[in-house]
Amino acid sequence: MRRTSMVLVAFLLLLVTPAYGAAQPRPSGPQELRVGTGEDSYDVEEPEADVGFTPRAIFETLVQMTPDYEVEPSLATGWELIEPNTWRFQLREGVTFHDGTPFTAEAVKYTFDRIAEAGGGPLRLGPESTVVVDDHTVDVTPTVQNRRLVEQLVHPNNSIVATGSRPGEKPVGTGPFRFVEYVPEERLVVERNPDYWDEPAALERITFRFIPEPNARRLALEAGDLDVMLDVPLDAVTSLEARGFVVDQPAPGLYEAMYANISGEAGYTILQDENVRKAVAYAVDRDALVEGVFDGLAVSEQTMVPARLLADAAATVQGYAYDPDRAAQLLEQSGWQLGGDGIRAKEGKRLTLELVNGFPSSQEHGVVAEFVQAQLKDVGIEVSIVTTPDAGAYEERLNSFRGDLWLERGNQNDANPAFLPALLFWEEGLFGNIGYQPVFAPGWPPDVAEPRVGDGAFDRVIVDALASPDAEEVKQLSARAMHLLIDEYAIVIPLAGLIRAHAVRPEVMGLPAHPSGIQVRFDDAFIAGSV
Amino acid sequence: MLAYVGRRVLYLVPTWLGLSLLAFVVGDLTPGDPVRSYFQRTRGRPPTAVELARMREQFGLDDSLPERFLDWVAGAVHGDFGISFSTGRPVFDELSSRVPATLQLAGAAMLVALAIAIPVGIVAALYRNRLVDQVLRVGSLLGASLPGFFLAYLLIILFAVRLGMLPTLGRGGLPHLIMPALALGLGDSAVLARLMRSSLLEVLGENYVRTARAKGLRERRVILRHGVANALNAVVTEAGLTFASLLAFSSIIEVIFVWPGIGRLLLEAITQRDYPIIQGFVVFAGTVFVLINLAVDIAYVWLDPRVTLAADRARQAGAAP
Repeated sequence: MRRTSMVLVAFLLLLVTPAYGAAQPRPSGPQELRVGTGEDSYDVEEPEADVGFTPRAIFETLVQMTPDYEVEPSLATGWELIEPNTWRFQLREGVTFHDGTPFTAEAVKYTFDRIAEAGGGPLRLGPESTVVVDDHTVDVTPTVQNRRLVEQLVHPNNSIVATGSRPGEKPVGTGPFRFVEYVPEERLVVERNPDYWDEPAALERITFRFIPEPNARRLALEAGDLDVMLDVPLDAVTSLEARGFVVDQPAPGLYEAMYANISGEAGYTILQDENVRKAVAYAVDRDALVEGVFDGLAVSEQTMVPARLLADAAATVQGYAYDPDRAAQLLEQSGWQLGGDGIRAKEGKRLTLELVNGFPSSQEHGVVAEFVQAQLKDVGIEVSIVTTPDAGAYEERLNSFRGDLWLERGNQNDANPAFLPALLFWEEGLFGNIGYQPVFAPGWPPDVAEPRVGDGAFDRVIVDALASPDAEEVKQLSARAMHLLIDEYAIVIPLAGLIRAHAVRPEVMGLPAHPSGIQVRFDDAFIAGSV
Repeated sequence: MLAYVGRRVLYLVPTWLGLSLLAFVVGDLTPGDPVRSYFQRTRGRPPTAVELARMREQFGLDDSLPERFLDWVAGAVHGDFGISFSTGRPVFDELSSRVPATLQLAGAAMLVALAIAIPVGIVAALYRNRLVDQVLRVGSLLGASLPGFFLAYLLIILFAVRLGMLPTLGRGGLPHLIMPALALGLGDSAVLARLMRSSLLEVLGENYVRTARAKGLRERRVILRHGVANALNAVVTEAGLTFASLLAFSSIIEVIFVWPGIGRLLLEAITQRDYPIIQGFVVFAGTVFVLINLAVDIAYVWLDPRVTLAADRARQAGAAP
């Protein structure tokens, strides 16, 4: 018996050992990565020259955002709010810029003063906002109360540049890679920074090629001219995987939704009736949309703001189940009776809605508009689709109120959960009236006593969310704001949460996707031996 | 002759004024705000009220249309075509730095088109109505009907992805030039081939060709020296005009192959509502068309001694006793 059990143990050990001995992928061969990215959106004109949507290579921010939307220290190791409106940051020691100069509070002041000179941005910085306390401590006081400053600082636009440097001419940052060469609209080349404050990167060199056309980008990957393709169009994922490429899909960082025109202007009055708005929301089978149109590469998330960002508070938003019967019931309640041709009518007027496709461009929405059109027809709503050629035309149409439903895709690029609802639907607007408020904001115009939809709760919640010093509370308040917009007012009709994916050759490792595509980091990436 | 050329060149001035005014007005009427577009593109967000006001002032967007136009004309006279809304660099620099790439591509496409069109046209004419002719005519019709971008993708899939023989994109040496030149030139080759065919057929029916045959010259010499050489006039002049349109309309091919030319710049400028670039391009394209038309007219005089310029003819008539 003892002999048998020894044999058994030996046998088990033999089974297990190969797993321990199996090779972990290691860098092998020249570590030079070729990355295909979208259009070159660098702005090199000083003093506004910014660092664009640099894949995170050359520059770093004071704080960074994890794939779970958590805010983490980066160049700042700690921060606190000194009432009423001053943020004090403790800066990391032992960090140098690529030109050898030390990273100190001076550099933060230089960077933030540049932002202030260019208008201050959403951070709301002014020329006196940034004060050096000592080499590794800096105070930032925005010109208006801004409790969301830290969540906003994760955005790459707020990367720290070396004192006196002109990033439009030569970018000097603190990141794991150094600037080598920039040929506008062709490529950006960076090389490893051996003096990086954290562990140096495995890659020796990265070449980012600007290829705005997604098909061309994908063909370049398939032909072997690229190792990585950023921003994979969702309809290409299955075929890329079939060819052996690895497509990394993070949590949703984008949303697809329709907004309802509640203004009643220009003759578009039908959606002023909440029953009709809710009927539209119930009439869409989101699971079919995710499976059929997005090829399963989206989730039927209905929070608009990524659920991951709202964390536990996301459950506050219920969303809409697919319930065409309920939709029909609501429409009938409002007097829309089914006509002989399957379309409802009331007092001689047909139930026709104009769906404007879309933002940022109609191509990005694929066949979503047609899908919605077919679904709404099933409950007796006739949809006529208007396709705008580009964002400019869409915005112009929005400014003239001409449309009932507006198909939009939006994304969340910083960690502020209140950003999207405050930007688009708050009566005051995070940046003022950007054209969305008159069409969609429940409390528009701001000086009127009676909000046109709801009782003013939404605007109050947004004000609280923007002013709250507690990050958890901001999530709860933002979730509540979305609950009002979606569940109660049905001004936002969510369709899906979308995923920003990238595709790599199987030999490329250590490059996890990030829900906010512009936060992808290359410092852990390497090229392994053939797999 | 010189006076004639001089006059034609002077016609450029009203052409410029007319084109640029048209571009200005159409730009103004087009929906879309360059400032919003700029922010959305470079920072992924709309501008704040402060930024919007600053930038509108910077770009002079708050001035009236006549003011802006006159400002632009005043600058243009000195070679200053304004500043690009998207990059802040002078329009002249943006355009001129990209023209060589487009010239290279258009030139190569022209060569491709002629290299295909001339032999195909000749063979089709010589074997008129036979199977070869029918096949070539259908083939050239197909070539003319295929949209350039579709052909471009087909070529990329075949030569780059499947066969791995050619690079997918960018400007470089000959391997980089082959596919874009093919995609751009094939469509025009069809038109030129049909022209070569009909032109040759017409010439071969002329008296002097019959005379050449009667003289006992070898058929091959008849065809090439007397037939094709004369038929080429029409083709070459048409090719000149084709070249002008290749320069102006290479946009889609340039975008697909990431070719750093002015066509790509134009498409981006349109999406971004970068009016100074669009106006600069319109002036450039107008100039190209006018000058090439002029060159073609002069070339025609040189190629075909029977043709004289109307002005010269009048002079000769006046001078003769």
